[in-house]
Amino acid sequence: MLRILHDTNYDFIRWWKVMAGITVAFILLGLGSLAIKPPNYSIEFTGGTLMQLEFTQPPDVGEIRSALDDAGIHGAEIQQFGSNRDFTVRAQNPSQVAAQAKGAENIAVTIEAVLKKKFGENSFKAGRTEAVGPRVGQELKRGAIVAILLSFLITLVYLSIRFEWRFATAAVIATSHDVFTTIAFLKLMHLEISLTVVAGLLTVLGYSLNDTIIIFDRVRENLRKGRKETLYETLNRSINETLPRSVLTHATAFAATLALLFFAGEVIRPFAWVMAFGIVTGTFSSIYVAAPVLIWIERKWPRKTGARQSSSTATPTSRTRRSPATATR
Amino acid sequence: MNLKWRVSIILGLIAASVWALFPRTVVERVKRNGEFVYDTVRRVPLKRGLDLQGGMHLALEVDESKGAVPDKSKAIDNALKVVRNRIDEFGVSEPVVQKAGNDRIIVELPGIDDPRRAQDVVQKSAFLEFQITDKTQALEKALPRLDALLKNTKVAANAPTTGGKKDTTNAGLQSLFTADTSKKADTSRTDTTNAAAGTAGGPGAFSKLVRPGQMPGEYYVAQSDVELVTQYLSMPDVQAALPPAKVIRWSSDTLSYGGTIYRPLYVLDAKPIITGEFLTDAKPNTSPTEGNIVQFTMNNEGARRFRTETSRHIKDYMAIVLDQRVMGRPPIIQSAIGANGQITMGGKDLQAAQDLALVLRAGSLPVPLKIADVTQIGASLGKDSIHKGITAGIIAVALVVVIMLGYYRFSGALAVAALALYLLYTLAALAWFSAVLTLPGLAGFVLSIGIAVDANVLIFERIREELAHGKTVRTAIDEGFRHAMSAIVDSNVSTALTAAVLYQYGTGPVRGFAVTLLAGIAASMISAIFVVRTFYMLWLNRSREAQQALSI
Repeated sequence: MLRILHDTNYDFIRWWKVMAGITVAFILLGLGSLAIKPPNYSIEFTGGTLMQLEFTQPPDVGEIRSALDDAGIHGAEIQQFGSNRDFTVRAQNPSQVAAQAKGAENIAVTIEAVLKKKFGENSFKAGRTEAVGPRVGQELKRGAIVAILLSFLITLVYLSIRFEWRFATAAVIATSHDVFTTIAFLKLMHLEISLTVVAGLLTVLGYSLNDTIIIFDRVRENLRKGRKETLYETLNRSINETLPRSVLTHATAFAATLALLFFAGEVIRPFAWVMAFGIVTGTFSSIYVAAPVLIWIERKWPRKTGARQSSSTATPTSRTRRSPATATR
Repeated sequence: MNLKWRVSIILGLIAASVWALFPRTVVERVKRNGEFVYDTVRRVPLKRGLDLQGGMHLALEVDESKGAVPDKSKAIDNALKVVRNRIDEFGVSEPVVQKAGNDRIIVELPGIDDPRRAQDVVQKSAFLEFQITDKTQALEKALPRLDALLKNTKVAANAPTTGGKKDTTNAGLQSLFTADTSKKADTSRTDTTNAAAGTAGGPGAFSKLVRPGQMPGEYYVAQSDVELVTQYLSMPDVQAALPPAKVIRWSSDTLSYGGTIYRPLYVLDAKPIITGEFLTDAKPNTSPTEGNIVQFTMNNEGARRFRTETSRHIKDYMAIVLDQRVMGRPPIIQSAIGANGQITMGGKDLQAAQDLALVLRAGSLPVPLKIADVTQIGASLGKDSIHKGITAGIIAVALVVVIMLGYYRFSGALAVAALALYLLYTLAALAWFSAVLTLPGLAGFVLSIGIAVDANVLIFERIREELAHGKTVRTAIDEGFRHAMSAIVDSNVSTALTAAVLYQYGTGPVRGFAVTLLAGIAASMISAIFVVRTFYMLWLNRSREAQQALSI
């Protein structure tokens, strides 16, 4: 029997302060960078036009730009996309978006016409065109935020029923932590926030929640056994007991994510990046956010009845204001 | 549960899945040599989204730039029928035409490789009117007033540049340039000082731009002045001064006269003698003398009205006005016309005639529609995405198999067998519910391969713990499954809830992702819990030594 990390007894939660420092620093870095420069939203959210063009001959980027400028489409982003014959043209300026309020296709039609004029009728093919009017983008943005909040609410209710409100709250706080770290990651990696990335974010939330639930499920079970130990110890024990499972599951999930990252192509890559980071942050938050928060909640609102009084009630009141780490020393 | 029952259920599920996925012969519209025809094709019944097979997605909204529409929802309902008729006539395989929200129509056209034409067909209002040209010289009488009004007006006109944007060559481009002249600074060149601007205002500002044509109510305007005249005509003061009960319409054609290109302008009786609502059929045709034409037929009531009206207007000229443009030159009415008539297409090609016939048959749009968003994906790009997705999937499976076999040995092999069933069940579920497989959906599927084994991992780790506590193999397996259950159920249900939210709030590709996720969760629970358990039971029953030691 091949075993890794079997029967371990690491004191994970002891490091929660250091970990909190690291994660807060990371989130602040991300949010600070957001304050300086807003994130890159995709066409779907901002409105605008994206065209992926497959040229028959490698074109001169300068010529593409001057053709667009001549047509009054200024500041369009022209990027190579794969081979040197594939380019994306992105027109996302507010004025261009506004021009699409009358009909989303306007800018795309102009781009195609001026480039055909410049390079010849059959010099390129539009592999993909996305043109979104301003209203649609705003609705999508609102939809994405509503989706995330709603999934939080539903999770909170479900876990409150299956566990109890303390566990549910701790799990949701850990999951919201992942939203922030993932947004910071997106920003620091200069990834574009598209609908697919939002779907990735929600998948990360589901995955992270899974991980937290697996640990909490063990905590629930260990609490029922009624050992003479503090919640702090129970949490550590549960994390250690579920450690082999965590390693294995994260390994297989990561393997699938790597396959996506390297083999599924450009369109899926941002999604794969979000997922890869999500596995890391989800694992981290289950241990270093969910567990300390649960201890904190237990201390603040100790449970009154139950088979086993929670650890916090066993903790002397003089320690209530201290950190959970020191509470058991 | 009885072992026989378990095995039968698993075999039954496999049979049902294989059946659901078995390539079958279906009749659908497919493209053969550039034409859409009904034909039988043999294919795996898995629907691919637009991003995987190429095609076009359109969201249409009521265009209120030419006047507010009071009840948008109702207008959209009416427009929906027309758009659906037109798409059906257009002949695309498995199109989607549906209302989204209160004020939007979603159109999805798989496999469309001429997006411009599709867009045109969907958007054209196709409002057909028959109007008699003005015989009273109303415009001539109004000219002094118009000239006086415009005498002091300076218009910063941006007449078309010498590049000659002959506006009928490209409908989309043209709509961009004529849609709103104030936006022109954005798109036209900056050399604004041109001849037309120089001629603006001054004495005879209007009358010098128009010259009488060859029939009553017809006038010629040089192509270079069309922009300026259009601007004049849109000025409120000018509109007030125009002859009452008359309308002014441009021709859809131009004509060349003495080296100059002119666009005819018609003054018409505002009240049409009849509109296109009585039309029952329209067919494209080519006539040797008139080029491409569209022949139409009216129903009985239309024919009756048409006959009455035309008999009152013998020797008058009748303009056929489509979407406020006069089609061809107004013919003279020789005698009463009944049920049949024709529209000449001028210099336009046969496809234009086909498209016009198509929109006339399908009826006119009750409100003008504008495009709120459009996505068009080439077929080759879609194929490429599928190919890459499958590659990633195979690699993901290979990696997961290596990890599971390396770590859990025999039990890992059971999990891998269950994973194979998981893949089968998920695809079958997608086919069964006619879910649409999109690119994010494909990514979600690949990702789910890595996550699907989680339930097995939980169970196996539990069994290991029970074995470590000195339990027998049989008990350890039973206890392992029992204890792992709550974690599996809770984690899967909460993921399913998130997926449901995604489904509710997502659109298109993201919705496909949510569906794949949901199908994956269900399949993984069946395969990890039920199937692997059965495998263990079979194995325990078969060999005695199995009861001594478990390779896990």
